[in-house]
Amino acid sequence: MLRRSLASLGMTNTSSRHPEPSEASVRDRRRIKERIMENYLYLIPALPLAGFLILSLLGKNLSKNLIPVIGAGSVIGSAIAVILLAIQYDPENPVRQILWQWFSSEDLSVAISLSVDALTIVFLFVITFVGALIHIYSAAFMREDRDYARFFASMNLFICSMLLLVMADNLVLLYLGWEGVGLCSYLLIGFWYEKPENSRAANKAFTITRIGDTAMLIGLFMLFQEFRTLYIPDILNNVSQHFESGSATLTTIALLLVGGAVGKSAQLPLQSWLPDAMAGPSPVSALIHAATMVTAGVYLIARMHGIFVLSPEAMAIVAIIGAITLIIAGCSALVQTDIKRILAYSTISQIGYMFLALGVGAWSAAIFHFFTHAFFKALLFLAAGAIIESLHHEHSIFKMGGLRKKMPLIFYTFLAGAASLAALPFITSGFFSKEQILGYSFGAVNGNPILWVVGITGAFITAIYTTRLMVVVFWGEEKTHVSHLPGPAMTLPLVVLAILSIAVGFIEWPHNLMHVAVFSDYVQNVLPATVERENIAPPLVLQGIAIFMTLFGIYVGYMNCYRKPIWKANNYQTPLFQSLRNFWFKGWLFDDLYNNVFVKPFLFITTVNRKDIIDKIYTGISNGASQLHRMFSVSQNGSLRWYIGGVLAGILIIVTIQMIV
Amino acid sequence: MSNEQLLALLPFMVLAGASIVVILMIAARLSHTAIQVAGFLMLCFTVLAMGYVRDILPQEILPLFIIDGFAALYTGVIIFSVGVVGLLSYIYFEEREENPKEYYILLFLATLGAAVLTISRHFVSLFLGLEILSVSLYALIAYLRNRNNAIESGLKYLILAALTSAFLLLGMALFYMETGSMEFNAIGQKLAGSDPGVLFKLGLALMVVAIGFKLALVPFHLWAADVYQGAPAPVTAFIATASKVGVFAVLMRFSLAVNLQQSEFLLNVFSGIAIASMILGNILALRQQNIKRLLAYSSIAHLGYLIVAFLPGTREGIEASVFYLFAYAITILSAFGIVTILSTRMKDAEDLSVYRGLFWRKPLLAAVLAVSLFSLAGIPLTAGFFAKFIVLLTGANYNLWLPVIVLVLTSVIGLYYYLRIISTLFASAPAAEPRHKPLHPFFHFVTYATLFVLMVMICVLGVFPGPAIEGIRQFLMIR
Amino acid sequence: MPIERYIFLAIALFCIGIAGVLIRRNAIIVFMCIELMLNAVNLLLVAFSKMHHLKATAANATAGIEGQLFVFFIMVVAAAEVSVGLAIIVMMYRNVHSVDINFLNRLKH
Repeated sequence: MLRRSLASLGMTNTSSRHPEPSEASVRDRRRIKERIMENYLYLIPALPLAGFLILSLLGKNLSKNLIPVIGAGSVIGSAIAVILLAIQYDPENPVRQILWQWFSSEDLSVAISLSVDALTIVFLFVITFVGALIHIYSAAFMREDRDYARFFASMNLFICSMLLLVMADNLVLLYLGWEGVGLCSYLLIGFWYEKPENSRAANKAFTITRIGDTAMLIGLFMLFQEFRTLYIPDILNNVSQHFESGSATLTTIALLLVGGAVGKSAQLPLQSWLPDAMAGPSPVSALIHAATMVTAGVYLIARMHGIFVLSPEAMAIVAIIGAITLIIAGCSALVQTDIKRILAYSTISQIGYMFLALGVGAWSAAIFHFFTHAFFKALLFLAAGAIIESLHHEHSIFKMGGLRKKMPLIFYTFLAGAASLAALPFITSGFFSKEQILGYSFGAVNGNPILWVVGITGAFITAIYTTRLMVVVFWGEEKTHVSHLPGPAMTLPLVVLAILSIAVGFIEWPHNLMHVAVFSDYVQNVLPATVERENIAPPLVLQGIAIFMTLFGIYVGYMNCYRKPIWKANNYQTPLFQSLRNFWFKGWLFDDLYNNVFVKPFLFITTVNRKDIIDKIYTGISNGASQLHRMFSVSQNGSLRWYIGGVLAGILIIVTIQMIV
Repeated sequence: MSNEQLLALLPFMVLAGASIVVILMIAARLSHTAIQVAGFLMLCFTVLAMGYVRDILPQEILPLFIIDGFAALYTGVIIFSVGVVGLLSYIYFEEREENPKEYYILLFLATLGAAVLTISRHFVSLFLGLEILSVSLYALIAYLRNRNNAIESGLKYLILAALTSAFLLLGMALFYMETGSMEFNAIGQKLAGSDPGVLFKLGLALMVVAIGFKLALVPFHLWAADVYQGAPAPVTAFIATASKVGVFAVLMRFSLAVNLQQSEFLLNVFSGIAIASMILGNILALRQQNIKRLLAYSSIAHLGYLIVAFLPGTREGIEASVFYLFAYAITILSAFGIVTILSTRMKDAEDLSVYRGLFWRKPLLAAVLAVSLFSLAGIPLTAGFFAKFIVLLTGANYNLWLPVIVLVLTSVIGLYYYLRIISTLFASAPAAEPRHKPLHPFFHFVTYATLFVLMVMICVLGVFPGPAIEGIRQFLMIR
Repeated sequence: MPIERYIFLAIALFCIGIAGVLIRRNAIIVFMCIELMLNAVNLLLVAFSKMHHLKATAANATAGIEGQLFVFFIMVVAAAEVSVGLAIIVMMYRNVHSVDINFLNRLKH
């Protein structure tokens, strides 16, 4: 098993993508396969689920030592199961296990079934492995919290839903996982619910992602209507017979799915919830809002790639969304002062890169960037959490400073993560994945120079804000006293993640430099290969420019923040700069834009008093709805004669329409 | 009438007998407990009788009734709801000063009315069923006569219901004029060829009014919140479940017989009503602080969802609607069960503040309420999600995109207020403990057990809906 | 007499009933108006019954009988409705010392 999977890992691009051995032998092998696998495939989501059930039912009665053992142990267990599965996995035979038939009507039957292919394994690995590390970290990080058990219960439920999302082979089950992670995200953002702004952030996140979910649900129903099934392999196999390339229906479906993905992955125009979601505990930000849940949108698009391939318009829109988002979020990250918000904007920006890659058809590059991003961004969030805790819950980077000497371990791990985020050439994983995306944004069939320029600019900005973050936090003089250093349970995950965020890049090199393509070979049975244009600029030049821009960005950041610190808080040179900074700081004023375009006219129409005007779309919607509520409540005035009048008016309306038509 | 036909009516006769048994027991001065037990046994007999006559179905008892799988399903949901309402009623009425015994007579009569609606195939049986149901309901709503709210809501319901029955009758009369018949099927046949006249169309519209009133659909929904609030909690549960199931069943049977869905115009009227109900119901519930009113508004919205399954008029739609009603009945019964248990002697537990921090005081009750609210909101892995899902599938299948999209969007609004209650359940600052009169511990246990079973059913139907759907399909084959 | 006249009479009675329900404040009079509406329908049904009977051939002697049967049921039900209704109105009088339906406005919003 191991030997074969290794052999397949080494397969080159020349081997056919769909080897077609005789049917009987496939069936035989599949049967053997199932016998080995089916015994523990369900264990992967079941273990965290069991952890959730135990913790939520018995949470109050468990001792403080037992809670993390159950909470983290269940995730570690499923991580081990995933690693075993990955070792045994044979890329030619996706594994499927039907647990039970959820329901079947003559049109639609939905089984609760799990299936695993290479794409799923990549996600599974990140979810369980990074998840396990974050759980270990949380065991120490959350120890003093009153609701220790509730925290682990919600985290376990999240892991379970996320695993269900990526292991589902039909869209109903996928949607279930999709809703499940949304619910857990809601629970965990509002974990410290005593503070009203935390509940508000949770509500905002939930509502805005629900907008996307609604679009996605409608997309699912349209898919069902077209294909009469929601079983993903069937849809992907039939889509090319069912639709011509560029069909309007298919594009609509694809765009509705993108709507769901955009909401979950915090991309334009539904990105504004993610920075606020940082109200949750740091491990939550690391797990849900950096490594896993926010990339569910990337997963969805990659999973349904067959639909997107046939719809160039939808692909183009995905690429454009990604490109615009990565610039906008990068600029916002430049000027934030809260360490977690900087990281949040940078997450939005990095997911923008993934969308860009998906949009130009660089499927495996997108997933590879997800893979590396999960490690270094989780690392950055965890390290940031450790810093914040050591500095008496201080979030502002301008009140940190000088931590290089005080917290050396945190410094080195953070440095590894930051270098990876900035894509420091050749020694970090971020470089390899981002370089691939940049190359394809120019060279793939759907790519074009403008996307490439945007990507390069984004890389430049990323390098600047990363350097700024590093310099401000770790150099300079100490501004807040370090109360205590994190213990081994917190530093161990950091070290592991730091090693990984440096090392995982080496499995995939730019193909003109060295022929190592472990990752793209691994997923090649699932995702279509990227088609490249011919006669484009030599890759070496593009790479050279990218590397130069990154280094230049680091230099600019270093010069500005270390040598001549111009971006210190309350220290602006020109009014133009100040307003630009302000504009970026508020996330390009998207909240204000929504407020002006949608909320204010609405409020104006419903003649609200001006004081009620609020600055956020969420409260805007909810206030608007409450206004409607108040308007309609007037109809429930308790007067019987009014009710009689209502009934008669209803009759009159129906009869009149009837007579007219 | 042949023996088999008589036998097929057995469940309904047992049901009618139940109220007579209760009358005799009151005459014999038996205790509330005895009446409660006897009533429950009679419901069990009804279920047994239904199982017993299953093999001889379908039976047509000309001209009034038809007993087929369709009727059996809806009657089953009604009997199930009444069984739960009966169990909940014991502890509710036991601690109130009014004599609770006559309550059961009315309850069984109302059940009989709703059950008759499911088997009627003739205007006379439709009207009689509806009126048996309504007249019993007037008295049930106003049963706690020393509370001003009860009288008010009873009188409101009475006047509005009587008014709409007059419209229903006028509609029927106009139908009769056009077709010379009062049987659904005969009407359908007569209509098949000819182009209906103006008066006939008017009649149809008037019948829609009466049905819409009973189902509390917009714009005939105004009574719902007041009546839900004023009526005793178990009666509210009955109105929300059994009475709506019966009326919906007869609406479905009638529209299938006369091919209502073939008419483009009526389809539009019903989609309009459904859309308005979904939007208005959810918006009215948004900031509501009284949980009984909130559930009333939510039931307006839910009936709107149900109409989406009614629109296609196919077997698929019937399946979806039966499942929906069943899931909805379980869910709303468990919610009202909690309201019933938490009610104190003078006041029903309707204010949201009663529920603040419930989880820390009574975790089981809070869990039941939370699960039922999740189900109402349509969170996956609950019965409510699945019910909504198949309704949506049916709608999407027949290109009813506008209602489907409105359904999805309004569910999002719904989520907001359900989550609001759930977060109240978990809030700190527990309110003062409402005191209960010490009750027979057995009945207390039974009530808790019932609620627990309902919660389990919500989850099981959400996780394994397959067998239920299969059962519904098999029953619908009996025709 | 042509059937239209019956229809006009019945509809007129029905509309008077509606108007009464809508404008009268006394609960008992509201009830009487609803009774009026029901009786308008009764009249209509009897007229239609006769109409269908006359239209039918001699072979079908019972044609149109349903309408008249229905009238009896309606009368019975109306009586039941009124008896329950009056009982509730009596209770209302005990509580608020009035039978004005405008006093029914405590349950709202």
